[in-house]
Amino acid sequence: MEGDVRNKARASWDMGSLPPVECLRIERSDSPTPDLVEGTEPGAGQQAAMFVHSRSVEDLPAEADEDAESRVEPQPVADGDPGSSETFGTSENGLQVEENIIEVAQAPKESSWAESRTKEEDICSDGWRSHRKHVFVLSEAGKPIYSRYGTEEALSSTMGVMMALVSFVEADKNIIRSIHADGYNVVFLSKSPLVLVAVSQTRQSDKEMIRELQYIYYQIVSLLTLTQLNHIFQAKKNYDLRRLLAGSEHLIDNLLRRLDRDPGLLLSAVTCLPLASSSRDAVSASLQAAKAPSLVFSILMKDQYLHHMDLHLVFNLVCSSSSSFREGEGWTPICLPKFNSAGFFHAHISYLEPASELCLILVSTDREEFFSLSDCKQRFLERLRKRNAYQALKEAVKTPSYSVDLVGIPELRHFLYKSKSSGLFTSPELPGVYQSEEGQERLMGLYQELHSRLHHSTRPLLSIYRCGETENFMAWLTSGFELYLCLTPLVTKMQAVSAVNKLLKWIRKEEDRLFILSPLTY
Amino acid sequence: MLIVSPRMAAVTQEKQYTPSLLSFFVYNPSFGPREGEEEKKILFYHPSEVEKNEKIRNVGLCEAIVQFTRTFCPTKPAKSLHTQKNRQFFFEAEDSYWIVMIVKNPMVEKPNKDGKPPTIEYQEEEVLDTVYGAVLRQCYSMYKLFNGTFGRAMEAGGVELLIPKLEKFFYRYLQTLHLQSCDLLDVFGGISFFPLDKMTYLKIQSFVNRVEENLRLVKYTAFLYNDQLIWSGLEQDDMRILYKYLTTSLFPRHSEPELAGRDSALRPEVSGNLLHYGRFLTGPANLKDPDAKFRFPRIFVHTEDGSEELHLIVYKAMSAAVCFMISASVELTREFCERLDALVGPQLTLLASDICEQFTLNRRISGPDKEPQFKFIYFNHMNLAEKSTIHMRKTASVSLTSVHPDLMKILGDINCDFARVDEDEEVIVKAMTDYWVVGKKSDQRELYVILNQKNANLIEVNEEVKRLCATQFNNIFFLD
Repeated sequence: MEGDVRNKARASWDMGSLPPVECLRIERSDSPTPDLVEGTEPGAGQQAAMFVHSRSVEDLPAEADEDAESRVEPQPVADGDPGSSETFGTSENGLQVEENIIEVAQAPKESSWAESRTKEEDICSDGWRSHRKHVFVLSEAGKPIYSRYGTEEALSSTMGVMMALVSFVEADKNIIRSIHADGYNVVFLSKSPLVLVAVSQTRQSDKEMIRELQYIYYQIVSLLTLTQLNHIFQAKKNYDLRRLLAGSEHLIDNLLRRLDRDPGLLLSAVTCLPLASSSRDAVSASLQAAKAPSLVFSILMKDQYLHHMDLHLVFNLVCSSSSSFREGEGWTPICLPKFNSAGFFHAHISYLEPASELCLILVSTDREEFFSLSDCKQRFLERLRKRNAYQALKEAVKTPSYSVDLVGIPELRHFLYKSKSSGLFTSPELPGVYQSEEGQERLMGLYQELHSRLHHSTRPLLSIYRCGETENFMAWLTSGFELYLCLTPLVTKMQAVSAVNKLLKWIRKEEDRLFILSPLTY
Repeated sequence: MLIVSPRMAAVTQEKQYTPSLLSFFVYNPSFGPREGEEEKKILFYHPSEVEKNEKIRNVGLCEAIVQFTRTFCPTKPAKSLHTQKNRQFFFEAEDSYWIVMIVKNPMVEKPNKDGKPPTIEYQEEEVLDTVYGAVLRQCYSMYKLFNGTFGRAMEAGGVELLIPKLEKFFYRYLQTLHLQSCDLLDVFGGISFFPLDKMTYLKIQSFVNRVEENLRLVKYTAFLYNDQLIWSGLEQDDMRILYKYLTTSLFPRHSEPELAGRDSALRPEVSGNLLHYGRFLTGPANLKDPDAKFRFPRIFVHTEDGSEELHLIVYKAMSAAVCFMISASVELTREFCERLDALVGPQLTLLASDICEQFTLNRRISGPDKEPQFKFIYFNHMNLAEKSTIHMRKTASVSLTSVHPDLMKILGDINCDFARVDEDEEVIVKAMTDYWVVGKKSDQRELYVILNQKNANLIEVNEEVKRLCATQFNNIFFLD
């Protein structure tokens, strides 16, 4: 995966003339066994970091039927969302395209990995213990696969204990869920052949923590496919999966950081670039016109029929390695586990212009289709320019977010609004009080708490008003939307109620710009 | 006419199981540190018929969980373990002495057709950690009230003494645990105080002083009316657990014989004395009985340097009950009890009717109809005062509430949120059943109100609660 991205990027930049497809084929036949290749991330030069990348997992010997696998016909997953299965037919020539337009995946400001791997920590130190949220992934043989903090080696006995606890409770035909102590919880998620464990000092409910662990699980599946994952562990129970994931840990690191900060993952929704509906239509028409035979999805924004989980995984991939995609065209296999956990799609990821914030993601079923998707992008760009939509898009990107002041409610500090029908949400920039890393996580923590109370599995609530010393909150769940307001602490209930009404009015007025009301499909 | 065949009924009938006690055990890891000696760790295990290896296994899991969590915080180990089928609660009552309670999650059994075994659905979110954690701690407090600490028994006679003590106490006590009706009130473990005018209060105080003056042996006194506390000379924590014992165990066992009428066989000991309704609830049932035993339950209360052992005499006349506590080193005789009966009996009878009169008078003034329709729970952490208009009657077996159990759990959820931050807070939620629930925390006080006003809005609900605060708690400041 990462390896592939690199190969392609090099192919198109360094070895220009050599057809990348050939290049891949040769490498593939050369290495029939999983192998490790060292490579430098393009664009990571300034970080002077060396990364170990695994060769594409498609090369695993276990995957005998390689050809078939590479041309995965997207099949509706049995438990996938109904939206995908009904809109996604399979046809002989692979021309199943169904698409619509979406969100500009903005290049993330947070630079991802280099700074993040604070691995070499003593696991007996207070520093290690004081992390807000630990996440561990292990195999059912108790082998460490991933740890957010501290090296897997140092934690191997701890992870062994985790596995022992899981199996001990299982032996009683029971399932371990969580351990609660003063100030922290330990949450377990068994997803054969993996076990995921979170140790969290946040005030999130077990249910929320399980959701986060599921994201991590699907992140791993999206790198390997579930079929691969099962194959590997069926063949060798105590396989060291780190060999395959090496170089991709930053994807998990980054996803965890997003989970702590991005309300989209909490709300199971994504946000779209505020854009006048006429411009949005022009953009989507351009995309539509530029389609290629094998194109499945193009995400300049977001696709209705793609499960939000998958979409967040794609975003995570882009955001975690922004620098590499910025300088070339990325071509990477990605499994969209909610869509089809058995096989890979191939994502063409590129920024419209090297200096642009706009990233285009094209997802294809065929791994040989790099050039046709690359063409596709060019055609799209041309059309965009012709229709003058590009300018509008570029303008919009300059102001991708808006200040809460725009709404004109002085008591209002921040809000989240999710439109249920479109699966999109909108939210203003964080105000000064919450801009620090700590403040941001605190605010998210409070939203998470309200969210878990509203969505309690047996005692759901319709609305919550919470009045505290530092801020007031209002949360409201209706059949059409989900709304969270963060208000100044001294606001009266009268003011709060009128703030809600004003905000709803404002959102209705801006609806066109903030949401995609009438998504197009091919 | 609808005829339901038995078979059809069987298919559609779902069986609901409430949370229940699966097991309860006490262990000390330091008693069997070597392999093969694990059984020695176990000091008490309920149910006792569980096979030995199974006991060792379950204790082992608890030890492993506790040890595992020390990796992440050495000073704050696990308090509960959630599994699909049950919840386990861990409590280190004394150094290395662990008490574990395992509660089965409530479940629904759905019968299947064609003789397939029924489907069982576990309701994993129904058991609140705070509630059952408090129940477990209460078990220990109750043990300690009547037996002193584990350490004390070990010092006095080693495991040979401790094990039978544990068995004797918990065998009976566990049968009185009614896990299905535990709720927020168990978390508070509060004391309900009897509202009284100053005059009557002074009368009671002077009564207590008089008795303590005349019966020099009496070390502490507590005065209750209608199962509510009026006066106590004990430390708060001791009174809290004693109050729990009196109101949930002792009083319900001695239902009002006064109501049975004078000539009833229930109270043969009072013959012809209209002014003396007094009787012993602990100790001798009938003073006149020549074979009467003058043995009273012993309790342990805190002192500055540990604990002291006391005789507990509970004496009751009509709705007034007094606890007299006397050092256990003194032997109580027939003479003493007769003196007490002669002194306290008439006075307490008089006092009880005074209080009753005052009480009905006050009620008439405020008017029973003016009793607000609010359903609320109030608790003050400072003096442990609690008040609930939700609980209709708290007896040994069940605490009947007038609201849906889910609403009680929402109260529990709000309380849980309050406990996590040391800040004044207010929460107003609208539940799916269209009830409004309001929680307020101010300083050391907590107030929870349930309103059944489907069409009210936030502002109206707020007004309602303000009205309640003004009538019931006018001197308490709550964050607005």
